Amino acid sequence: MPARHPARAPDPGRAGIGLRTPHFEALAGRRPALSFLEVHSENYFADGGPALAWLERFRADYAVSLHGVGLSLGSTDPLDRGHLARLARLAARIEPALVSEHLCWSSVGGAHLGELLPLPYTQEALDHVCARVAEVQEYLGRRILVENVSAYVRFASSTIPEGEFVAEVARRTGCGVLLDLNNAWVNAANHGTDPRDLLRAIDPASVGEIHLAGHEVTPDGLVDTHGAPVSPEVWALFAEAVGSLGPVPTLVEWDTDIPPLDVLLAEAGRADAILARARVPGRAAA
Amino acid sequence: MSGAEALARLQAEFAAALVAEGDAGFASRLAGEPSLALRRLAIYRRAVEANRRGALRSAYPVVARLVGEAFFGEAARRFARDCPPDDADLNRFGGGFPAFLAAYPHASELPWLGDVARLEWAWHEALMAADSPGLDYAALARVGEAAQPRVRFRFHAAVRLVRSSWPVLAIWEANQPGRDGTPDREEGADDVLVWREDERVRAALLAPPEADFVARLMEGASLEEAAADGWDFSAALGHLAAGGMLAGFSAGTPAAS
Repeated sequence: MPARHPARAPDPGRAGIGLRTPHFEALAGRRPALSFLEVHSENYFADGGPALAWLERFRADYAVSLHGVGLSLGSTDPLDRGHLARLARLAARIEPALVSEHLCWSSVGGAHLGELLPLPYTQEALDHVCARVAEVQEYLGRRILVENVSAYVRFASSTIPEGEFVAEVARRTGCGVLLDLNNAWVNAANHGTDPRDLLRAIDPASVGEIHLAGHEVTPDGLVDTHGAPVSPEVWALFAEAVGSLGPVPTLVEWDTDIPPLDVLLAEAGRADAILARARVPGRAAA
Repeated sequence: MSGAEALARLQAEFAAALVAEGDAGFASRLAGEPSLALRRLAIYRRAVEANRRGALRSAYPVVARLVGEAFFGEAARRFARDCPPDDADLNRFGGGFPAFLAAYPHASELPWLGDVARLEWAWHEALMAADSPGLDYAALARVGEAAQPRVRFRFHAAVRLVRSSWPVLAIWEANQPGRDGTPDREEGADDVLVWREDERVRAALLAPPEADFVARLMEGASLEEAAADGWDFSAALGHLAAGGMLAGFSAGTPAAS
């Protein structure tokens, strides 16, 4: 076995980027300064092969964040122990600085929809998802971050504001919050609410990461495509958020119509500049 | 399941509304103006379809190129409807697509399409297969000459043999990026060995006797059982060993698993 680099920690004063296949060669060659690299955990679940070999290489130079899209935390199906075991194996191998999932569900009755679907904000759903987050944290033996998702529909049965729901999951389970500001903006625009409600509801100390991404404006509302530059409104929300939270590890996500690496790095640079202006309150790093 | 019955019911109804066309009944579960809520619900329906199509497209790029986007999209939609993903990891979705294509009436003029898809799935699985330990040559060398014919091999998890009555490797190669789609040959019944070496997937055409030999070895046959009529297997075995395709062996007794 070759000597392994110790796991790296993200620099909260800088932004990171999503690690996507088309950028592997360029990133490995140039090694730009980045806070961290984030991957979709499921894409590295194989116990071997080229993708994992690339990630092993990158972890020597960068802090890594494992961002899951398939655990279906909010589903009423039993938690998929096989999926969780694969995540645990990957985490043991990569020693990620951050592990995150979504406050959503994506499967029911054994059928996997492959999409991050919203939960109704009810006491029942809150109890259920808290039990699941606790189960995952216990299995992995570590704290995870849960991300607020974009929701194109709201449920008639919802009784709790989204921000309070997210805050309560963090309070009850001790998990952190992955604050996705694009999702907050998309939801606020689609449902006529204030994106700051989410910021106000969440305990600042629980925020372990921020996501920035682009969306698409359609006749039926904003769609969270991760296929465009971060919008001016989301940049403004970001400046406001880090103004009160202080520097937080921040990710620029771009998953569809992936641009050349330089475009992504320029977005990350823009986030760096905003993070540099953020005041540093007396709060321990996440 | 503790007290999540209403949530379970809502999720089942949501999922049904996403895959079925008739979603009007679900509008009562949604907040806001009903027709807008249903149009927003359709964003999810399209996303579910696009994610499934995208997963198949990334596993089957040659099939997609051969049939074109529209044909591929419709085949993917029907396949996903009949055989929806049973794993959260969409990288694992689509193992049944070759059989679906082979029986797909609209593809009857492309009788080799299912076999091309089988080759692509073998390639896709080889990419994702677990690493295997290398063959213990020192231990193999200690097997006495008399016992060698009874040696059985375990293969690296990435190794696949795709046997076809069509020139699938020629078709596959002609449809790689940078090629114009014209196969180098139109004749052939290709037996293609797929494996992973130095973190790259590779494919090679095998002559029929070698393919028979490899197929039997992969089924767990011993060397003497696999080499019919005293066929000299040394070159074939050397090929497997050089490619790191052999991961272990047992001498004298049937291989486990």
